Amino acid sequence: MGFIELILRRKTLLFAVGILFSLVVISIFATYFVPYDPDALSLSDRLRPPSTAHLFGTDHFGRDIFSRTLVGTRVTFILGLSISAFALVFGVPLGVLSGYYDRVGMVLMRVIDAVMAFPAIILALALMAIMGKPGMVNVIIAVGMVWAPRMVRVVYSSTLSLRENTYVEAARALGASSGRILIRHIVVNLLSPVIVQSTFTFAFSIMEVAALNFLGVGIPPYIPSWGGMMNEGRTYIIRAPWIILFPGVFLALSVLSFNLLGDALRDRLDPKLRNIV
Amino acid sequence: MFSYIVRRAAGMVVSVLLVVTITFVLMQLIPGDPSSVLLGPNATPEQIEGLKRTWGLDQPIWVQFYKYFANFFHGNLGESIFFRQPVLRIIGQRAETSIFLGIMALMVVVGLGVPAGVIAAVRPNSWVDNSLLLLALAGASIPSFWLGLMLMVLFAGKLHLLPSSGYTSVIATGNIANLKNLVLPAFALGFVNAALVARTARSSMLDVLRVDYITTARAKGLRDSVVILKHALRNAAIPITTVISFTFASLISGAVVTENVFALPGVGSLIVQSVLKRDYPVIQGIMLVVAVLYVVINFVTDLTYAFLDPRIRYR
Repeated sequence: MGFIELILRRKTLLFAVGILFSLVVISIFATYFVPYDPDALSLSDRLRPPSTAHLFGTDHFGRDIFSRTLVGTRVTFILGLSISAFALVFGVPLGVLSGYYDRVGMVLMRVIDAVMAFPAIILALALMAIMGKPGMVNVIIAVGMVWAPRMVRVVYSSTLSLRENTYVEAARALGASSGRILIRHIVVNLLSPVIVQSTFTFAFSIMEVAALNFLGVGIPPYIPSWGGMMNEGRTYIIRAPWIILFPGVFLALSVLSFNLLGDALRDRLDPKLRNIV
Repeated sequence: MFSYIVRRAAGMVVSVLLVVTITFVLMQLIPGDPSSVLLGPNATPEQIEGLKRTWGLDQPIWVQFYKYFANFFHGNLGESIFFRQPVLRIIGQRAETSIFLGIMALMVVVGLGVPAGVIAAVRPNSWVDNSLLLLALAGASIPSFWLGLMLMVLFAGKLHLLPSSGYTSVIATGNIANLKNLVLPAFALGFVNAALVARTARSSMLDVLRVDYITTARAKGLRDSVVILKHALRNAAIPITTVISFTFASLISGAVVTENVFALPGVGSLIVQSVLKRDYPVIQGIMLVVAVLYVVINFVTDLTYAFLDPRIRYR
């Protein structure tokens, strides 16, 4: 039984890595090989269903959905990466300090819990409204602020258990400074939980970015994005469902692959993380 | 038990205070003159004067902070720029749709998630289990708004079985059939969250099914259905209940987009409209109401949990 399960796991992992690799390749090179200019208007080709000329059909401006979907991969991945990086830059230092110094942890964790009382999309919407106008940087900040607290929590819990290790005690007995213990003994051992959490952050954040773009408050509409395409296609949903179908499939596949990868990494790197991440 | 309730209640109060503080700080970050932020560009001098008095805008920041708290605890969340009405009243008008949507989505979550998890756990590693796991994983990766749009195409566009959008109050009209409009949105919203519940139900059922009293129950000749539903599910119910209560936050998040997809007049679509119109008092009011609700529901869940499982109280 265990053997079959292992192969099944391997297969799903292979599937996830394969999809992600293709998406990364697409996001880098799509602009060079897509059949049409993603922004080229062609009013004679409005709302055409999928065909050999237009694999995924066309939208209400006659733009090629296939080309737009592939090009939209890039902005999705750039945003996903930037948001994960944002969560890392804020989450790791704050989480380590809270986990290592009880007083910092006591205060900061209360604040983090309070921030997490705001449902993700509501906080992101409010931050977008406060920052004023749509744009890539604002989306990164808004969604990053939503996911950084979750990273802090994960790093905090891991640090709490890491600092109880005998080698930390030994280092302290040898007279190592707190700074040295934090960097040489704690931060380096945070790699697994942080990698796993970053994978999930990526998955959730691209979903949330798509939701913001779909609601029309994310990045400006002239940048082709999956959420933005779905927003534009809403008016024509009954006549031309393909405008929405294909970007959604790409989004779901990306999220699924990152979730599968996260699950697999968690089981491989450290099964104990199941209770934390 | 009493000291546990007191401790948790104190924690809840702290959380509510922090939530109020966070919204206050966020609103300070909006660029521009506060009176034009709160009243819009077309405010009269009298309105600005009144606003300054209520919120202490011409006073030092700590007085403003105090006034903000005092107003919050008196149920005054300010006035909408767009609707020219108290924020709390507007949220109240929109609450019915969101509450019914939430309840129906929760029914989908429980109705799909729990049976799926139980069936998967009864036959672990069978094809049923594997396909349910795959479905649950896919469910957790599909954006609910996309699922909603696809359901709309299929059930409203092609099959003409259900209405595609809009909702008229059941309470105001007394017409219970209006709930039909919430079936597709509730399913789109619930399906995604059912996936999480199914995974938890499966793993906690698997844990329980391994325990001795299950073997005993089987050995004394009880039917499988009795063993599974009466002995196992009741004991697996605690973690499942907790996860169901956790889905609350994600139901709210999902509802924001789902209400928008199906043009439902709920709180979720209200916040999106308010963001697009820069109606800051409404945005702030919804943030407060939702976050406080979340804190309170967490508190109630903790109490229920401690009530169901006495071990929790002594931690």
